[in-house]
Amino acid sequence: MNPIESWFRDTVGEPFAFQRDAWDAQRQGESGLLHAPTGMGKTYAAWLPTLMRWCEDHADASAWDQQPVEPIRVLWITPLRALATDTETNLKKPIEALGLPWTVERRTGDVSATVKARQKKKLPSALVTTPESLSVLLSYADARQKFRGLQTVIVDEWHELMSTKRGTQTELGLARLRRWSREAGKELSVWGLSATLGNLPEAMDTLLGPQLAPRGRMIHGPDHKAIEITTLLPDDMDRFPWAGHLGITLLPQVLQVLEDSGSTLLFTNTRSQAEIWFNEICAKRPEWIGEVALHHGSIDRKSRLAVEDLLRRGGLRCCVCTSSLDLGVDFSPVDQVIQVASPKGVARLLQRAGRSGHQPGKVSRVIGVPTNALEIIDFAAARDAAAARRIESRRPLDRPLDVLAQHLVTCAMGGGFTSEPMLAEVRSSHAYQDLSDQEWAWCLDFVRRGGETLKVYPQYARVIEDEDGRFGVASPKIARNHRMGIGTITSDTSIAVKFANGKKLGSVEESFVGFLKPGDKFVFAGHLLQLIRVRAMVATVKKAAGKKAQVPRWQGGRTPLSTQLADAVRSRLDDVRQRGEAADDLPPEMLAVAPLLALQARWSVVPADDELLIETTRSRDGHHTFLYPLQGRLVHEGLGTLLAHRLTREAPRAVTVTVNDYGIELLSPDDLELVDRDWRRLLHRDGLLEDLLAALNTSQLARRAFRDIARVAGLISTGFPGQPVANRHLQASSELFFDVFTDFDPDNLLLDQARREVLEQQLEVTRLTAALDDLARMRLDTRLTPRLTPLAFPLWAERLREQHLTSQSWQERVGKMVMRLEAAADD
Amino acid sequence: MSEIEWIGQTWRLRADRSVHWKTRNTLIVADPHFGKADHFRGSGIPVPKGTTRHNLERLDVALRATASTRLVVLGDFFHSRGGVTDELIEQLREWRRRWDGLSILNVRGNHDRQAGDPPADLEIECVVGPWRDQLDPAVAFAHEPAVVSNAGTLCGHLHPAVRLEGPGKARLRAACFHFQTRQAVLPAFGAFTGMKVIRPRRGDRVFAIGPAEVAEVFGPKTGSSASSAPTPDTAVDAVE
Repeated sequence: MNPIESWFRDTVGEPFAFQRDAWDAQRQGESGLLHAPTGMGKTYAAWLPTLMRWCEDHADASAWDQQPVEPIRVLWITPLRALATDTETNLKKPIEALGLPWTVERRTGDVSATVKARQKKKLPSALVTTPESLSVLLSYADARQKFRGLQTVIVDEWHELMSTKRGTQTELGLARLRRWSREAGKELSVWGLSATLGNLPEAMDTLLGPQLAPRGRMIHGPDHKAIEITTLLPDDMDRFPWAGHLGITLLPQVLQVLEDSGSTLLFTNTRSQAEIWFNEICAKRPEWIGEVALHHGSIDRKSRLAVEDLLRRGGLRCCVCTSSLDLGVDFSPVDQVIQVASPKGVARLLQRAGRSGHQPGKVSRVIGVPTNALEIIDFAAARDAAAARRIESRRPLDRPLDVLAQHLVTCAMGGGFTSEPMLAEVRSSHAYQDLSDQEWAWCLDFVRRGGETLKVYPQYARVIEDEDGRFGVASPKIARNHRMGIGTITSDTSIAVKFANGKKLGSVEESFVGFLKPGDKFVFAGHLLQLIRVRAMVATVKKAAGKKAQVPRWQGGRTPLSTQLADAVRSRLDDVRQRGEAADDLPPEMLAVAPLLALQARWSVVPADDELLIETTRSRDGHHTFLYPLQGRLVHEGLGTLLAHRLTREAPRAVTVTVNDYGIELLSPDDLELVDRDWRRLLHRDGLLEDLLAALNTSQLARRAFRDIARVAGLISTGFPGQPVANRHLQASSELFFDVFTDFDPDNLLLDQARREVLEQQLEVTRLTAALDDLARMRLDTRLTPRLTPLAFPLWAERLREQHLTSQSWQERVGKMVMRLEAAADD
Repeated sequence: MSEIEWIGQTWRLRADRSVHWKTRNTLIVADPHFGKADHFRGSGIPVPKGTTRHNLERLDVALRATASTRLVVLGDFFHSRGGVTDELIEQLREWRRRWDGLSILNVRGNHDRQAGDPPADLEIECVVGPWRDQLDPAVAFAHEPAVVSNAGTLCGHLHPAVRLEGPGKARLRAACFHFQTRQAVLPAFGAFTGMKVIRPRRGDRVFAIGPAEVAEVFGPKTGSSASSAPTPDTAVDAVE
């Protein structure tokens, strides 16, 4: 038997069928996608074949220590730096056990300069890296020479990467490596590792590109481990909030759960929620200090690593965390998972549930903690969808020109390129297979001359073309700046939070600090802090005492309800409407919300699957119109934008739009006086695209999308790490670029891309069109309600929250409103 | 256009981001940052051409409409040394020839210190702020905000803006004039300059700049003293 396989059997055990399949497929040089839930042994399924082959070629083990160190063979791409360390350790295990002349190293942003310098001379046998660092490697002039021995590329957690710009960056990098192999007479073997997705075949096609995809091999691991989804329900529904998302009403029950069991991961959807839950747990159980930890993306890396280490050793009772712990790293000692607030998606809940019960034969347990009444339904719906295997898909990106522009500069630095072969290479990736000749010409012009005509951009050059038609970088200074900028696809301006003695706590977004004055108190990284001053991207703080404090609101905490979950919610509501609360097979969640839905039925109606409920009511704020398409926040944002645009175009009126996952609120000072015929017109799909584009000109969405584009395309100078002021004269915001392009170069395709991104990714035009078609088939049920119904109330509260009221006055106002509504319910 | 009585003088606030001082027939602008786009292009960042021409044309219109005899620039005439190209100087010379009789004063800003003063043949007098005309000792000009005894100071440097909220999800930042008791901050005049959102205090007056008009959005008349959010109607005007 192959020594590697023996090692595996001795240390891990009998290989699963999917692992043997993966070994065979890769040893035959195939490419494909390996799909299995986290913790099932994907890493060794993908890593060992290379070593097995090497051992076959070098049968005499006694001669191994005389062999020279193996050159670069395997490139391992991982989305997270945090995962890279773990992966490196795992890859090294068989090598060290058997004494193979192989080296495994990491190449990520945080690797020391010494290692980077060594890797610049020679790459290790296996290199673990991120998409950004791969780009940096491709930007060195001798890149092709250095990667000459490469045989295999493994892309870990491909489901996370594929629908992001970093995924597209990976696709382009792979296209380059594949071409170099092919021109050397070899075929690169490329494997993706993925968790469960609704569109696995598409995930494989995206990774392999149009040429290789037809021959791709899909290998499925064992199905999900048994997963048990339960929900903590309030003892007293009457006192349970109808709206809000930070609610800690269920804290006592959560404490009980933590008391009774071993190590728990408590997931929240946002960093603010994590801070609040951590602080509340510590306040109520001071004896647990040291056993409870906090982990989220803004906390300093060192503290995060320390927490991960504790988790691995089983030293924590509870870790409060966000999506920062969704991925990869294996925490075997975790016994159960708690999900605070709606899971928003089926795949996400399964992924999080999978973080517990790693030991074979153990059940993965996830306990849902709703923060408001409607979220209780989400958990029942998530269980339905998981049982029916209705998992979300992730869509790959289509031709993001900013990523291509960045890649072209990278390739110009990494040995240069000529137009025709480069175009063929770019089109061999899935993202750019339909790239038009015009778009290609524009991109080339963009990096070379700034735009289509030299007239518009004099003196400008990032890439220059020599007499032989070869493109290279214009100057070493530009090369240096570009390399610095490659890593910035994800980063946003953030301010470091430090104590006066220099100890770093983490970082917060600039916008949050902007709202604080020196002396203000806020909660961060589990501490109550007082701001001393903000200077040069550092917020200096000291520990504070007392109670009153704000919690930072980070961006990006607003994941929409997925289509799959929204559908399941609709079915649950329809079921209650038809069969009432007396049906004997209702899950506990639906029994709990039954009184609330009965109230909804009394004041209005519980929406049916085939009808659109529209409620109108008055308050001292004005005239409210509520629509409940139940299609998730993203679609509602699109519908809301469309409705506001069409309404204000028809007549001069002021309309404020608020959306949540369940519906849309239109608020106006005067009665909109809309009848069915008006609604049909307002919700018609004719002219959707034109109307949305027109509406976008007056809204900030395109502007916001342009923020990323400007950074990726290299418009925003990131400066040198730690010296953000060095390029002071080259600082300009993406907003400014957006304006100056709009005014002085309106045909710039990056503006076009911003609009496309908004339409497809933010407003999901495809899904929006489908939603409008659905609505056109539905009956309209228009109701005048005497007061806010249980479905309307969360939207009303959401609008208040968006109006930047301080959290306290918001709580007070919402609290009063609920009391008024409850008084009405008791009548 | 809006008019404001401030430190005993009348100031006309123009939508092109300039201020006309009637009594002295003077046009005042802040932070033109000439050459900024050139500097960016030279460093490999594509900024389209046309911002300099646009700035000069707006100056033309403002000077003509107000029939001003003097132009005061509140600093940051040039953006950086690297952006002062021959082409830019030539454009400025051509413009200067058209405004032969105009007297021009630049109160040096932080960028001017690095970029240097404009060439002498442009005939722009450069002074260090805060600077006062002997005729009007109660009016001081400066680049950065400064307290001047017995005078109100007009300054730039901050590139002030306000955040307006409109119907739907429309939010909008608009450049603004920010008047305090003793100090007035002008918006940046340059077409390719950034903005920073300010938080006005009680007693301040803020005028937001729309495409064709200037509207007071904060102050005694608007009734908003704690929030910078104007009525939806103002915001719509500014958007369109």
